[in-house]
Amino acid sequence: MISATQQKIADELDVRARKYLRGDGANLETLRDKKLKGQLANREKLYGQSAKAAAKAEKWLLPSEEGYLEPEGLEKTWMIKQESIVREVDISSFRKPFDMILPDLGPYKLEYTPSGRYMVMGGRKGHLAMIDMLNMNLIKEFQVRETVRDVVFLQNEQFFAVAQKKYPYIYNWRGTEIHCLKEHGAALKLQFLDKHFLLASVNKSAQLHYQDVSTGVIVANYRTGLGRTDVMQVNPYNAVIGLGHSAGKVTMWKPTSAKPLVTMLCHFGPVTDIAFHKGGHLMATTGMDHKIKLWDIRKFGLLHSYTAHAQMLDFSQKGMLALGNKSHVHIWRDSGNQDYKQYMSHEMVKGYQLAKVCFRPYEDVLGIGHSMGLSSIIVPGAGEPNFDSWVANPYETKKQRREKEVHALIDKLQPETIMLEPTKIGTLKPRRTKANPTKKEIQEEMETAIDAAKNITFKKKTKGRNKPSKRTKKKEEGVFKAKRPFLEQKTEERPFKRQKEEVELPKALQRFSRKKA
Amino acid sequence: MTGKNTKQKPKGTKKGGRDKKKRHGPRLPSAVRKELEHLNADPNLEQSELEKDEFGEDVYEYDEETPEEETRKNRRYDSVDNYEYELPKEFEDEDVPSEDEELDSEPSEKSDDDQENSRHPRMLEDITGLPSMAFDGQQKKQIVVTDFQGDLNGKKISIHDLLDPLQQEPGYKNLRKKLHKIETKPMTVQVPLPKEEREKLERKVAYYHTRKDMTKWEPLVKRNREAPTLHFDADVNLGFSTVGSIASEFEPRTEFEKKMALLVHDPEIVDAYNKDGVRLLELNKINIEDVKEHQHRLAKMRSLLFNHEMKSKRIKKIKSKTYHRILKKERLKAASAMEMDPEVAKENARKQEFKRAEERMTLKHKNRSKWAQRILKRGLDIQDEGTRSAITEQLHQHALLTRKMNSIEDNSDDDDNSTDDNDNDDSDELLSEKGKKNVSKLLNKAKESTLKALEDASELPKSGVFALPFMERGLKKQQDAVEEEARMALDEYDASLRQHEKGHDIKNPKSAKVSGRKVFGPLKDKLQKPHKRRNTFNDDHNSDSEGGSDTIDRADVDEEVNNPAQNANLGPASDDDSENVTHSIFKSFDDIVKEPGPKTTFEVAIFASDCWKKINGENVVDAGSTKAAAIQNSQMLMHLPEPEDMDQDSDGDSEEKMVDGFLSSSPKRDYELPSQADLIHQAFAGDDVEAEFEKYKLEHLNEECPEPEKPELIPGWGQWTDIQQKRGMPSWMINEHKNAKRKREEALKKRKDASLKNVIISENVDKKAEKLLAKTLPFPYTSEEVYEQSIRMPIGPDFNPAITAGTLNRPTVVKKPGVIIKPIQYEEVDPNDDPDQPRRIVQKPKAQPKANKDNSARGKLKKMASTKKKIKP
Repeated sequence: MISATQQKIADELDVRARKYLRGDGANLETLRDKKLKGQLANREKLYGQSAKAAAKAEKWLLPSEEGYLEPEGLEKTWMIKQESIVREVDISSFRKPFDMILPDLGPYKLEYTPSGRYMVMGGRKGHLAMIDMLNMNLIKEFQVRETVRDVVFLQNEQFFAVAQKKYPYIYNWRGTEIHCLKEHGAALKLQFLDKHFLLASVNKSAQLHYQDVSTGVIVANYRTGLGRTDVMQVNPYNAVIGLGHSAGKVTMWKPTSAKPLVTMLCHFGPVTDIAFHKGGHLMATTGMDHKIKLWDIRKFGLLHSYTAHAQMLDFSQKGMLALGNKSHVHIWRDSGNQDYKQYMSHEMVKGYQLAKVCFRPYEDVLGIGHSMGLSSIIVPGAGEPNFDSWVANPYETKKQRREKEVHALIDKLQPETIMLEPTKIGTLKPRRTKANPTKKEIQEEMETAIDAAKNITFKKKTKGRNKPSKRTKKKEEGVFKAKRPFLEQKTEERPFKRQKEEVELPKALQRFSRKKA
Repeated sequence: MTGKNTKQKPKGTKKGGRDKKKRHGPRLPSAVRKELEHLNADPNLEQSELEKDEFGEDVYEYDEETPEEETRKNRRYDSVDNYEYELPKEFEDEDVPSEDEELDSEPSEKSDDDQENSRHPRMLEDITGLPSMAFDGQQKKQIVVTDFQGDLNGKKISIHDLLDPLQQEPGYKNLRKKLHKIETKPMTVQVPLPKEEREKLERKVAYYHTRKDMTKWEPLVKRNREAPTLHFDADVNLGFSTVGSIASEFEPRTEFEKKMALLVHDPEIVDAYNKDGVRLLELNKINIEDVKEHQHRLAKMRSLLFNHEMKSKRIKKIKSKTYHRILKKERLKAASAMEMDPEVAKENARKQEFKRAEERMTLKHKNRSKWAQRILKRGLDIQDEGTRSAITEQLHQHALLTRKMNSIEDNSDDDDNSTDDNDNDDSDELLSEKGKKNVSKLLNKAKESTLKALEDASELPKSGVFALPFMERGLKKQQDAVEEEARMALDEYDASLRQHEKGHDIKNPKSAKVSGRKVFGPLKDKLQKPHKRRNTFNDDHNSDSEGGSDTIDRADVDEEVNNPAQNANLGPASDDDSENVTHSIFKSFDDIVKEPGPKTTFEVAIFASDCWKKINGENVVDAGSTKAAAIQNSQMLMHLPEPEDMDQDSDGDSEEKMVDGFLSSSPKRDYELPSQADLIHQAFAGDDVEAEFEKYKLEHLNEECPEPEKPELIPGWGQWTDIQQKRGMPSWMINEHKNAKRKREEALKKRKDASLKNVIISENVDKKAEKLLAKTLPFPYTSEEVYEQSIRMPIGPDFNPAITAGTLNRPTVVKKPGVIIKPIQYEEVDPNDDPDQPRRIVQKPKAQPKANKDNSARGKLKKMASTKKKIKP
């Protein structure tokens, strides 16, 4: 007998395992091939075991769970101030919130490494700095004395790219300029696709550039044709880049397509920011039309629309949405069914203009870059509590970092693997009829059609209709029927030719025609 | 033996005769030859007729032949010449040895013979010049003939005549019976099957056996084929040190250890241990494999039993009488068809031949099975009665199956004879006078045997299939029935014995004749009847009592039911009613108003707001009562609709509203945000983004799926006259245009973004990404869905836990470099084995495969023996 608790645990494990099964297995009953059936059944069994093991590991081995602010009675979570949170948290979390006042080189952009350990910040007026957030150690700080529009880390903390006044540059952690990427032009926004080693930028003339940072090749360069924009975000699920435009459109791009994959009309005014959920199916947009919208990007449908204003958005690892507006920061949380409700709010000192909000990975911390420097606040439940050292290790050693870099290079994905549905890779190519098929293709198609017609087995009929002669006749008819459309195609081609030949004038008029030389 | 010799001898002599004829042929005059032929013809016929009889069939043959020789007395030929000329070595060689024997026996017989007979061969010798041996055969036969020639008075001798004088001899009865049987039922020897058929059968047997050999491999091969991975491992069994081996190397060093060793190795203790302890320990040891095997065997037996049970159940369940009748008939037919139908007989012969061929091929019953060999090895005399009889039975079977064809029938006949004999004996004895004593003896014997059987039956088997609970139950049931029957039989025996003793001189053939069953019938009935009656009585009683009690109970219940019902209907209800009535009557409106209790409830009801009706009802009641109540009601009614209004208001805005600048929820009446939204809308109204986007989408669609050109005539084309102009464009052009338009519309409808208003999804094919898709369905797959489902799971170590990543990516064959894959070796496949377990096939070193095998075989044998030992006690 299984006790109730055991049953409960088993049910929970089942629910968890379903996530790792990635959909149901095929219906093997329909298969006729016994061998294949056996093999697939075996595979499915293994998949099930794997999913179960993963679920168990998730349940029992992941040490910590995220915690949230839990209000009591009439208390509201967004009424809780940072000071009261800081008073309650442990000493390691106590260190995390801070305000860094850098009033001169104003509004700061910032970016974390995927492990959340390092932060690079770039002041608008050319101040660049890299900080180890674990021990709050300033690794390098320097001045480029040029407008800095955006900063982004490359594959690890060793390199970062900075969009400067005329070109983007790549620096190493020591602050040495490694490259100047002149092809990109005056980039407004940078994004790095870490699985593909692609640095994407959109410049003042609304051109989208993809550059492979491992080989240095410009993979793609497309003109968006939708006006200057500095709204660009990469979808972490499929590495498709989303661009927000001034006409309220959001376009999605991949390096192997000159036209946007998807164009959506999201807002009535200019789009101010986009953010993608980690799961890849949720997109948040905000525009000047005083709306924040959540989109399901599997079916490109609107999920929710909120009337609120925000200039910048960011999704946390656990799906919290940070909104920055002037000097307010608001954090929304999914209250079920992707309906986001306010969770926290934070007020900067009046007059501080926000430039960037960015959740720190694997920490319950939100970094805020603003005109007077940097701030970081605690957002309980924002970050993934358990890090996977194979994916991103905040405590990485030098050797591990090197090892990982080599592995990442070996496992580098080619730019053509970027597509809206990455799960479609390896599946059967959809059959599509070409507009102008070649003769050979037509011939092949006709042959397959004829073969199909020949292989039709007829019902056994009675009363003399099952005679061999009748059957052959029927078969011949079927073949002819299959052939006919192709033959008709051929005949259709003829009239044009005839027309060409008919240029020859009637006899009466021939005398007027110009004689050929 | 003698029979065989007698058969051979005439053959030999005949041959000699034929040879003689050949040699002397040309010298015989044709008249003599004719006469010879004439004379020979009859006896031959007679011989063939009489061959079935074992006595003196040759008598007449040689009796007739003598005159043939006598003809030579006429001295027509030169005998001496003949002798010298004709005697070949071969001839002598052929006959001499057999003759020698007969010569030895001859003199003794001769002494009994007449003078004439002793003289006769000599005379023949003189006449023909042939040695006397040539005539020996006939003479030997003549001995018998002459014995009876005296009694022959012209008429034929029948076997009965011959048998009559033997009436007083001890074996006479048997002889007579045999004869009787031969006379009534002439025995026919089955014609042996033709050679082709026999060979065919042999081939069939051979094929059957090879097929069996091959099918033996099937599960093994199947398992290997189905295994997801096959591991070919080198034999790396280095032999591991066990606790025992380590302990055996232990040498006592310290004082204490030495003392202990002295104690442990004390001969007395060792002796005692060997005598008792070892055995006990041995009994304790149970091998896991043995237990498993035992379990599997049990499971198999259980399933077999179950299947059999189900089958019999199914057959039993069939209600059709005709089916059962046919079944019974068939069974009977099968039993009786042996003798009746020649075809069946032939079929039987074929079956028998098949069995024989199989036996010759496999020697299955010649103590070659492991079981038999083991038993023989341990010695037959140690075995118990059952095993010994089983072994002898087997040998007998073997002998039966390998014996020559002709003798097959004999055996069965013998068996029949013996049984018949017994029956006949019984009847004879019963009929005879002195059989009376035997009757009592027989009855006593029967009694004894039944008692013994009863005792035997009481012991239930404690192991094997019969130890299973349901089998045990069945057996017990059966045994009970048998016991009862046996007991009754015993009673019957006693009764008959008594009767027999009483009426010793009074013959009562009827009582003796009546078969057991007929007697048992009524007895059984009598025995059963009272029981039954008792049962029925019990039943009746039970039913009666139950019925009585039931009725009583029912009555009680009814009463109880009725009473409460009545009570309920009458008592309380009336009370309540009356109370209600009285209440309703006596409650005046003033009271309600005055009473504080109801009022409070009234108020609660309002707040709970689910008792709206109640309130209404009371309102109705209270309608015209007091003004205060009316006022209250109206106030309440006034209050209620308000929230609804609010709801309507909130419903009007589908979008969520946020607090604090971001959110505009809980709006107050004078809050101006909607107007702000309007303002924003107005602010962006000039842009008309949506229409622009529509246009943009249309452009995009046109680009991807171009609109067909409008058919236009070339200027000047067809404009010669007015008539032509009127005709307009040719229809094919219009049709073409129409078709193209329709096609385009269909294509647009099929697009993903067809139903999405503000979305354009590009349908452009990415040629570079096309190489990542499968052009055709990979081979074993036939359906796209199955294929795509099969590749849905990533199998890399990044996506799977470490414990399963290995199994997910394991190749089908795992082999270390240097390991040579040997041909497959036979091994028993356990059907209960988990098929998903990785299959490890150990490649044993080539150097000593034989020794290895022997070892393993011996080990197996030992193991089996040990298991048997363990299981038996």
